[in-house]
Amino acid sequence: MSSKHQEYHAENRKKVIFTIIFIIIAAAAFFLTLGFGVYKISIVHALEVFFDHLTGNIVDERGDYYIWELRAPRALAAILVGAGLSLAGVVMQNDFKNPLAEPYTMGISSGAFLGAVLAMAYGFYIIPIAGNFGEVINAFVLSLVPTAIIVLISMFRKMTPTAMILTGVAIMFLFSSITQIILVTSPSETVASAYEWRVGTFSSIRWQHIPIMLGVSAPLIVLLMLFYKKLNVMYVGDRSAKTLGEDPRNIRIITLVLVSFLTAILVSFTGTIGFIGLVGPQIARIFVGSNNKYLIPASMAFGAAFILIADTVAKVTGTNGLPVGVISSMVGGPLFLYILAKQKKSAWLRSDYPFAVDLYTGVAELLAYRFQDPLHAGEIGDAGGQHAPVFTAVPAASDELRGDAAHGHHSTLLSHLLDEHPGQLLAPVRLL
Amino acid sequence: MQTRAMSEEPLSREELKHEYHKLIAKRLILIAVGVIGIIVFVGLFSLAVYPGVSLSESYVIIWNHIMGNAYTPRSLEWWADRYIWNTAIPHALAAIIAGAGLAICGSLMQALMSNPLADPYSTGISSGACFGAVASIVVGTAFSTFSGTYGTVFSAFVGAMVPTAIIIILADRIRMTPATLILMGTAISYFFNSMITYLMISTDADTLKNAYLWQIGHLDGMSWDQIFPMFVVTLIGSLFVIFMTNKLNVISLGDNSAKSLGLDVRKFRIISLGIMSVMTAGIISFTGIIGFVGLVSPHIVRLVIGSDNKFVVPLSMILGSLLLLIADYMAYQLSGIPVGVIMSLIGSPVFFLLIVFQSKRTGAVY
Repeated sequence: MSSKHQEYHAENRKKVIFTIIFIIIAAAAFFLTLGFGVYKISIVHALEVFFDHLTGNIVDERGDYYIWELRAPRALAAILVGAGLSLAGVVMQNDFKNPLAEPYTMGISSGAFLGAVLAMAYGFYIIPIAGNFGEVINAFVLSLVPTAIIVLISMFRKMTPTAMILTGVAIMFLFSSITQIILVTSPSETVASAYEWRVGTFSSIRWQHIPIMLGVSAPLIVLLMLFYKKLNVMYVGDRSAKTLGEDPRNIRIITLVLVSFLTAILVSFTGTIGFIGLVGPQIARIFVGSNNKYLIPASMAFGAAFILIADTVAKVTGTNGLPVGVISSMVGGPLFLYILAKQKKSAWLRSDYPFAVDLYTGVAELLAYRFQDPLHAGEIGDAGGQHAPVFTAVPAASDELRGDAAHGHHSTLLSHLLDEHPGQLLAPVRLL
Repeated sequence: MQTRAMSEEPLSREELKHEYHKLIAKRLILIAVGVIGIIVFVGLFSLAVYPGVSLSESYVIIWNHIMGNAYTPRSLEWWADRYIWNTAIPHALAAIIAGAGLAICGSLMQALMSNPLADPYSTGISSGACFGAVASIVVGTAFSTFSGTYGTVFSAFVGAMVPTAIIIILADRIRMTPATLILMGTAISYFFNSMITYLMISTDADTLKNAYLWQIGHLDGMSWDQIFPMFVVTLIGSLFVIFMTNKLNVISLGDNSAKSLGLDVRKFRIISLGIMSVMTAGIISFTGIIGFVGLVSPHIVRLVIGSDNKFVVPLSMILGSLLLLIADYMAYQLSGIPVGVIMSLIGSPVFFLLIVFQSKRTGAVY
């Protein structure tokens, strides 16, 4: 084997080790967190109680209630949410090639919040069921509305990723303004409890919730993980995806629907826990790079470990202490800032493109800029000469492409030029 | 989306000229609509505040006040003048200034970050301001010895400057790519948000509601004293941005192209960020976090006239003013609902329709 090969495999081993380390941390945190909470119990004793319950001979009745009935489902939910939201974040960031994309980008959180607030303020339930399941169903159903609208529109007309995100943003604003009207006209207590819901907490999770959460999210997680190859293709851009025989629009829609269901089921039970869906993938990306084969398991392991530890800290601060969302942002925000400031190369912008594409893009950008004025470009086109076809190609590309360039969507500009004038673009590239 | 803007054949000189003139006409029409809309709504607003006069009379009263004509005390006109000049005009002006300022900051950020989702709050300004304001509402201690409203305003302003200060301090140590900047802003705002959440959860329900209302954004109770600092900050910032639109066009081509065209991207980005932060902080510390207008006005403008920042920036300003003024007018009519809510309630369907039914022929940007 050549040394390049060995280097490559050593690199990949590091990525696998990162994942394994965080899986171990998550497992350790699972057992540790059983020992923390309002009910004081030593960690060793908590573990004894836990395994006593598993083996069926319960010695400490009181301890068993706290450890088995309260803390074990809570820890399981934390693992599910941490891993699930991180995975959702990875998929969204790939689908939209945007470092700011996260599970809530499509407006899921605003839908869920509206559902919960409707239940809290007006006692409105889509399906009246006893217990807090009514609120959960409200949140679940409404959180799927934005995605449903986006899917519906894209059945009738082609939507670019940017159009999808902006549609999501529009729906999000609409939902949150309705929520705000409800809250502004509500008594203070409702606002307070709604606020607590939005921050998110695991404290209300019991065993009865786990089968639904797990039953819905586990198949979705597995399905999304199986998409890793297609997501890699998405990452290099729609055009490259097409040349590789994939349909980027279909992949985007399918993964979007899967992500929405996954996110919706998780947040309807716990409230909109922020931070991890955006930052979990980003932190993992800094360590393992952007290949989804490694990135997906790594961010899931990291997310699960991070949320579990954050929830443990939340429990230590007491019942009226800090919710998990606060802890994770308070610790994770500065941590993320530190990692960002330290990294030499931006993981997100590391060029995984072939060199030629960069070159093409550069040329196309330059041309688009220099001939922004169609009249001016027309003159040069008229003047003839070696580059005339390319120069006329650019003003013909015109407004919308300059719009794309202004937004950094070089691939659209490039693909337009390549589609329309395949041979001609090569001339200036050769000159370079 | 590979929509074809024009025919496959290169256009002739005359056709290009025609296209170009049509574009110019569109821009002029949009400017005219914006300005007329603003004037109309200032009149309507005066009418809403003092219904005792007719619409045309309210313009006469405003004009007379500007010209320095006084009325005999306690006459009908005198009262109308008092109400309109001390309540309606500051209210409307606050909406115009805040709308213009936030929209211009939004278009600046979208160009600087090459990201359509960027808005004035992308570097964490809003969460910093929020933290300042919530801290002064909840704890009652401001970062200053001012008391009452001005304490909240001042601590919101100081809080708003913190994220930008952190970014500028770290600027030498990091790669100043748009992605890094936005992610840093996100990291900072997560931290501030967690502190806000902590403060809000630890307080009683009524204080929580007050703090929540501050966050939504309002323009009620604006007076001339508050307008003046807002106006100065916005004016200086806007002039800077308008003079820099050429550079914004260059930077939105991507960092490498901008560098090869002779722009010091790093320096430009830091200076712009600094100015934008002062401008945004100067506005939102008085009004609270008014969302939507900064993000959406530039997009609406781009959907109509394309992406040339020379036109996007000033038109966003006008459109932002108009949008916020309309929302403020409606909020005043429906007293009790804050302007920020109205803004997103009305604006989001409009925005939604614009995206979905954007014309492929001319303005398709996305």
